Amino acid sequence: MDFTFSREAKALRRMVRTFVEKEVAPIAAEIDREHRVPMEVMRKLGEIGLLGVCFPQEYGGMGAGEEGYCILMEELGRACTSTATNVGAHIGIGAMAIHLDGTDEQKRKYLTPLARGEQFAAFGLTESNAGSDAANISTRAVRDGDNWVVNGGKVYITNGGYADVVTLMAVTDPALGARGGVTAFIVQSDWTGFEVAREEDKMGIRGTSTAELVFDDLRVPHENVLGKVGEGFVTFMKSLDMGRLTLGAACLGGAQAALDWSVEWAKTREQFGTQLAQKQSIQWMIADIATELEALRSLVYRVAWMVDTGQPFTELAAMCKLYGSEVASRAVDLAVQIHGGLGYSRDYPIERAFRDARIAEIFEGTNEIQRIVIASRIFREHGVRISP
Amino acid sequence: MRILVILRRVLDPAGIVAHRRLRRLFINREEYLIQPGDHSALEAALRIKDLGGAEVVVVSGQPEPDDDTVCRGLAMGADGAIYLSGEGFAGADDGVAARLLQAVVDRLGGADLVLVGMTTLDTAQAQLGPRLAGALGWPQIVGAWSVEIVDGRVRAVRRDGDDYVVVETDLPAVVTVPGRALEPRYPDGARLVNVYRGEGGMGEAVLRWDVADLLHPEGLVPLLENRGRDFPPERELGVRVEGTTEEVAQAVAEALRARLRGA
Ligand SMILES: Cc1cc2nc3c(=O)[nH]c(=O)nc-3n(C[C@H](O)[C@H](O)[C@H](O)COP(=O)(O)OP(=O)(O)OC[C@H]3O[C@@H](n4cnc5c(N)ncnc54)[C@H](O)[C@@H]3O)c2cc1C
Repeated sequence: MDFTFSREAKALRRMVRTFVEKEVAPIAAEIDREHRVPMEVMRKLGEIGLLGVCFPQEYGGMGAGEEGYCILMEELGRACTSTATNVGAHIGIGAMAIHLDGTDEQKRKYLTPLARGEQFAAFGLTESNAGSDAANISTRAVRDGDNWVVNGGKVYITNGGYADVVTLMAVTDPALGARGGVTAFIVQSDWTGFEVAREEDKMGIRGTSTAELVFDDLRVPHENVLGKVGEGFVTFMKSLDMGRLTLGAACLGGAQAALDWSVEWAKTREQFGTQLAQKQSIQWMIADIATELEALRSLVYRVAWMVDTGQPFTELAAMCKLYGSEVASRAVDLAVQIHGGLGYSRDYPIERAFRDARIAEIFEGTNEIQRIVIASRIFREHGVRISP
Repeated sequence: MRILVILRRVLDPAGIVAHRRLRRLFINREEYLIQPGDHSALEAALRIKDLGGAEVVVVSGQPEPDDDTVCRGLAMGADGAIYLSGEGFAGADDGVAARLLQAVVDRLGGADLVLVGMTTLDTAQAQLGPRLAGALGWPQIVGAWSVEIVDGRVRAVRRDGDDYVVVETDLPAVVTVPGRALEPRYPDGARLVNVYRGEGGMGEAVLRWDVADLLHPEGLVPLLENRGRDFPPERELGVRVEGTTEEVAQAVAEALRARLRGA
């Protein structure tokens, strides 16, 4: 066993950290306040290749694997959860579906500009009546010669307000349901019949776009079917596995930031004549966060290694997301406590981090759903099938 | 046009804590930066390449087998790299380095321009550029804030007292660049991966030269002998001001005025 990062991984982390310190951290508070997606940051990330971090070089990517992608997300998560979310929805689920199941032609046409950050992607699964129960979607695609005609809508779609390309799931055969009756499509937002209906006004990650999309006789050429007709659910679940791992990596960064702020403040702040660092209750909080953080780090990078070496990892990705989001939430909650009144003030980043951390327990499948995924894998090995 | 850029590394000061009472340096995080001046010099070279085309070759040498510095240069866009190592390199001072680099230029069959940081973050010596220019017998421009090639000559803007002046000289030349002159670009992601994996032609881009093949052993002997670390003499402690924000600001302003008056 060798747990050291390679020179390549260290160089990549250094590159990302420099970028984050110069371009992301300085505007994190501003984009939250102004409720604005930092497009200039997204474009710059694309220019230097980072939006293609895990995609092959022949499709405009870097070829740095899931390990590289986790490094990117961890470093982004340290400074700005909004930016990590924009990048995660773009690479980790939107473009990922094309990377996993796209044809060579689809990858040339769509993945390449996405990997270079010339275009942006979103992932369209959730509907108003199909959240946790994603198989219950009702957006319908009907075959019409060489085209499919899509009608329906999606809600809560990250990057939905500005994405050029959306990987979308629609029912193609209602009789068959999720297994066989649902198909994934690659759609362009500049096609007639694609409409951004509204933007969500959210508690946190306010530097992201969460949009409701409406499809009104949206004509999609058959060549834009992603994977096989009827197998869309598999494509989407595979993409979500990847997304969950890297969401865990972003949470790792968020928790690390909470710990760093807390240690710094405990060193600086004095009450009753000594530093907070001298109070045992504060020491225990710090020790607890640090311990969970190390456990999370080991989990995230081990699962990244499993992905890069082609091993099955579905329930482990669910654990990354579940544990990562809870560690990050606890860490930032303790950081608020350690900072006292300052932790509650808009003048400091902890208040924003507190609002931002909460979403990770909800999106990409709620933590309840992650527990179901994990438990169902365990019980399946014991011959018990559980249904959500 | 061949541009040689010298890259040196320096321990990231953010990872070091100096403990005065124990007279020791604690290295919490052993991370190296490219010397800011050299980093800036590489950016200057790449801008010349972007504008009119050039072959940019980075050269570095480290006491231990670690070519990370040249890898960074390649990832930023250098075309080739020379990594110097070998017995006798450990104690190299600026004099030895200038002799070695002169030999590097000879072995390459010449260069049109050598760019190097004006000074170094750790030792604050600004000697390498001038010494190298002396060794090569080339003209030099010290402290260039921007570097251009105009009609086959090198033109630079440098500081002259409170002013900036434009200077020009013939090629080949040595130009030194201050650390804050130019913001170094980010590496290119795919290139970075290829450099570290030795793929996409990047493996062949690094030439590894042994210093013993470049200089006679006498040439490697530094004039100064290094006798270990010490701490600078204790400095006078400042004054701690207390009070309301207004009072503190008043006190600081007063102290600054006093200092300006030379009191
Ligand atoms: C900011 C944001 C961004 C998002 N981005 C995207 C995106 O890019 N693409 C996309 O497709 N979707 C996206 N989503 C949707 C997100 O994945 C869903 O909100 C999430 O899956 C939960 O669905 P729901 O909101 O309908 O909640 P519900 O499914 O209604 O769940 C409500 C509660 O009931 C619990 N629950 C439901 N079923 C069970 C069960 N069987 N057992 C136990 N508890 C259960 C849930 O855990 C939750 O606590 C986003 C959501 C948000 C808020």
